Amino acid sequence: MPYFEDVELGEQIGPVETVATDEGVANFCDVWSPPTPNRFTDIETAKASGMEGTIVPGIMAMAMMAQLLTDWAGPDAVRDLDVVFRQPVPHNSPLTLEATITDLRQEDGQNLAECDILMLGSKGERHVGGRALVSLPSRE
Amino acid sequence: MTMQLNYDRSLHEKEHRAGPFEITPEMIRSVNVSLSEKGAAFNSDEGAKGEGFRGMIAPPTLCSIFVREVQLPDIGLDFGRVQMHAGQRVQPIAPIYAGDLISASSHLKEVYAKTGRSGTMVFVVWETTFRNQDDEVVAEVQESFARRE
Repeated sequence: MPYFEDVELGEQIGPVETVATDEGVANFCDVWSPPTPNRFTDIETAKASGMEGTIVPGIMAMAMMAQLLTDWAGPDAVRDLDVVFRQPVPHNSPLTLEATITDLRQEDGQNLAECDILMLGSKGERHVGGRALVSLPSRE
Repeated sequence: MTMQLNYDRSLHEKEHRAGPFEITPEMIRSVNVSLSEKGAAFNSDEGAKGEGFRGMIAPPTLCSIFVREVQLPDIGLDFGRVQMHAGQRVQPIAPIYAGDLISASSHLKEVYAKTGRSGTMVFVVWETTFRNQDDEVVAEVQESFARRE
C-alpha cells in the first residue's frame, strides 16, 4: 500500500489486464438478480437490444474498476468513484484497467489522491471512464 | 437558451425506501468469484481482522446491487423514448460488514439537458443513501440515466 508522501502527480495505477467471463457475469447476476432474460446473460435479448453479444452490467464494470483501486491502496481506501458508461463492455474480451493520479491534496484530515480511471478494450476503445478519489496513509 | 423540462418536480422532495437487505458472507464471496477478488479483507473474518477490521467487509461498490430494489416512479418526463444507464457514482462512507442489514432511501437528485454533436440528451439522476442497522450512513450512490430525442 503506497504512502501519500511517496505518490506523485502523473503516476499510473496499473495497467491491469482482465476479462469478464460468461461465468463471472452469470455469477454476478445471480447476486444482483436483474429481470430475466436480460442482455447480460441472454444472447438473443442482447441482440434484440442492438448489441453484438451479451454485455457486462455497468455496476459489475464499476466493481472491476474499484478493484484496481483497492488492490493499490487497500480495501477501504476508495472515497468516491464516479464513472460514465461510454460503450457496452463485452464478455470474454481482454480489458485493461488503469488510472492516473491527477491531484494530491489533504482535506478534512485525509490524504487524498484524485485520479482519472479507465476501462479500455483490446483496441484501446474507452468502455468506461471516470474519476476516483482514494485516501492514502501518511508516513507522519 | 435553457431547455424547459416538464416532469414531476415534487419527486425531488420524496424519499423512496427499500430494505433492509442482509449482506451475507455468501453474497460477498459470490461477487468475489465474479471479480476474481482475492483481497484478504473481502474474503474472510481472519483476513479482515489482519487488516484492522472487526470482520469480513464487502467490496466498496457492492451496495449498488440493491439500488434496483427501490421502486422508483416514472417521473413523467416528456422527452425521449430510449433510456440508457449513463453513469454511476459510489461514495463509500463506512465499511459494510458481512451480517450488516442495510436499507436504501432514494430521491430524484437532478434532471438536466445537454446538447452535443449527436443532439440533445436529458439526464435523470437518482441518489440513494444506504444506512446500516445502526442508522449509520455507509454509502451514497448516484445513478444517471440518459434519454435521447
